[in-house]
Amino acid sequence: MVYGCNAGQEKKAVVFAVGGAPGEVMVWEEVARAFTDESGIPMRILRQPTDTAQRRQGLLVALGSAQRDPDVFLMDIAWLGLFAAGGWLAPLGDVALEPFFIETVRQADIVDGQLIALPFSLDVGIVYYRTDLLTEPVPRTWQALAAAAARAQTRIQPHTPGFYGFVWQGAQYEGLVVNFLDFAGSQGGFLVAGDRILVDSPHNVAALAMMVDFIHTQAISPPNTYTEMKEEEVRRHYQGGDALFARNWPYAYPLHAAEGSPVRGKTGVMPLPAPENGSPAATLGGWHVGVSAFSDARAEAIQFALYLTSRPVQKLLALKLGLPPGRRELYTDEDILEKYPHYELLAEILRSARSRPILPNYTLISEIMQRRLSGALARDYSPAQALAMAQQEIDRMMARTRRDPPGSRPR
Amino acid sequence: MTRDHRPASDFRQARQPARRPPLTRDQVRGFWFLSPLFGFIGLFILIPVLGTIADSLFRDIVYLPVRFVFLENFRALWADPSFWSAVRFSALFVLVSVPLEVLLGLGIALVLNEPFALRGWVRACILIPWAIPAAVAGRIFQLVYNFSYGAANYLLDLLSISREPLNWLGSDLSAFIAVVVADAWQTTPFAAIILLAGLAAIPEDLYGQAKVDQAGMVARFRHITLPLLKPVLIVTLLFRTIQALRIFDIIFVLTGGGPGGATESLSMLAYRHFAAGDFGYGSAASVVLFLMAVVAAIAYVRVGRFQET
Repeated sequence: MVYGCNAGQEKKAVVFAVGGAPGEVMVWEEVARAFTDESGIPMRILRQPTDTAQRRQGLLVALGSAQRDPDVFLMDIAWLGLFAAGGWLAPLGDVALEPFFIETVRQADIVDGQLIALPFSLDVGIVYYRTDLLTEPVPRTWQALAAAAARAQTRIQPHTPGFYGFVWQGAQYEGLVVNFLDFAGSQGGFLVAGDRILVDSPHNVAALAMMVDFIHTQAISPPNTYTEMKEEEVRRHYQGGDALFARNWPYAYPLHAAEGSPVRGKTGVMPLPAPENGSPAATLGGWHVGVSAFSDARAEAIQFALYLTSRPVQKLLALKLGLPPGRRELYTDEDILEKYPHYELLAEILRSARSRPILPNYTLISEIMQRRLSGALARDYSPAQALAMAQQEIDRMMARTRRDPPGSRPR
Repeated sequence: MTRDHRPASDFRQARQPARRPPLTRDQVRGFWFLSPLFGFIGLFILIPVLGTIADSLFRDIVYLPVRFVFLENFRALWADPSFWSAVRFSALFVLVSVPLEVLLGLGIALVLNEPFALRGWVRACILIPWAIPAAVAGRIFQLVYNFSYGAANYLLDLLSISREPLNWLGSDLSAFIAVVVADAWQTTPFAAIILLAGLAAIPEDLYGQAKVDQAGMVARFRHITLPLLKPVLIVTLLFRTIQALRIFDIIFVLTGGGPGGATESLSMLAYRHFAAGDFGYGSAASVVLFLMAVVAAIAYVRVGRFQET
């Protein structure tokens, strides 16, 4: 960090904390330069790791100790509750929200009536499938998907031993919770009831039972689903031609379609199926941009946050990084649709996508869930027992990490 | 230069003069030479340890005001099944992996202590796993145990033991064994090299005399090697026990604590809470880990009777 008493007329540099692969960081540097050229505000990039949990930890330490830098940063949607409760985010003021997905902004970015972040990029689970292997119509329910998967597997596995009907993220990490929510559909998932988070509903037990069943009974998902399968493992498995269906994020689309990919030109995308007597509800992921409440260049940082979510920059970043943009209007943009035809479907799913609960202790809730869901997938106990244990542990943890009554805000 | 075989009590008496003589100039100078070390230990070990103990008594959650809660965090730990599962894992891991590694290490050390061609090369090679960072070792074993293309399943198939690939990290027991094997691969060389140093310090003529008295190989090992190696053996056990108690990297990379938290160690539990901004609770878990290490250290020092040095 540079401390100095340069002549007062020099503008404060805005420090932007962002992580990602080397190629991504290069794009960020370009964007920062373009912003400086346009506004005259100097920028500095504080490079973060690629790993999401490590990025959270780095920001948590800086903000928890009220550091003046970084001024502006990207946050995974799952951290917004924590950052808001810490009082770490500066209100962004009046922003026209019409061009965004209003429902998303309402769920995630508005806290106590204040806009504290803006969706920079959105993410939502979709199902990729092999157009050349799926002989029946695109399945609308999990049961139909399982049946199609089983039929294809019986046909193909004898001569391709590693072939499985359906691959998804089941390793013990945040992705397991997201997959579970995707399976549970709109009637399941986390139910926020006053001070409590309810997880042991019959809908959730049924969803978890189905996940166990997919691995162990129907065996349409590989045995290593709950030990090894994260996003990249699922993508490689599917891209290698060894699956009929794969649940993954949109980032996999350009990779599946890349030159030399065995599934190029044979891949379709469909929304998540619905559970029995229910409707699907995709779990929202993605990154939001926020400004530190401790920033020593708040006005300039807000200006940069708005720049990042402006139409031209969002379009440029979507085309360069392949991240589905936060602005709804870009999902009908011709240039974008030409490169990513699946965005039409994404826009449809995003309109009704559901955020994980925006709570300050979401990470702790999720870790309890990860552990118990994983235990059920390993068949250490039944799905009902797993969720009953998770419920008890979450209740205890919530009591310990609750805000003090006088200053508490109902959420 | 010869070893003094008077009982320890003689030394204690000899060390109790009526009055302590004034410090000599050399002793004062010696103190100054040591002071950077004391400063280092104070700054980087004592302060963090005391800070962690203090923090464990607070509700220190990143989004809440800090409040003194005394033993509340420990009470919450006590009620947390993942804490007991981590304690059980850490204890079992020490009980299984430490004796295994020290026994294997002793065997390797005995072999490497004998003269043979290229002994220097073999000694150097044996150290390679220890030189590899634990996180990398975890990644290597992830590839070994990989379900689809791992070496372990390849061997099963090659040796016609099983056509069906096994999901090595898929059950509590097999994941535990997988972690123990990976850790033993990595840390046995450490035990071997320390024990080898201990063996090298045993005077060769003792064995010569024993041979004159017609002591066999087993008798020589029991009556010469083992008693003289005991202090080094105890130190090796102590080091390995403390290292095994705080095992983190291999598990973090290899199993992520799974399945269902079955291979989560206490240090990983503490880390998870730190990373979530739940500092007081993480500190409490660290204090428990610290106490377990202290108990182990005291037990070993008692058994080793180090007061004679």
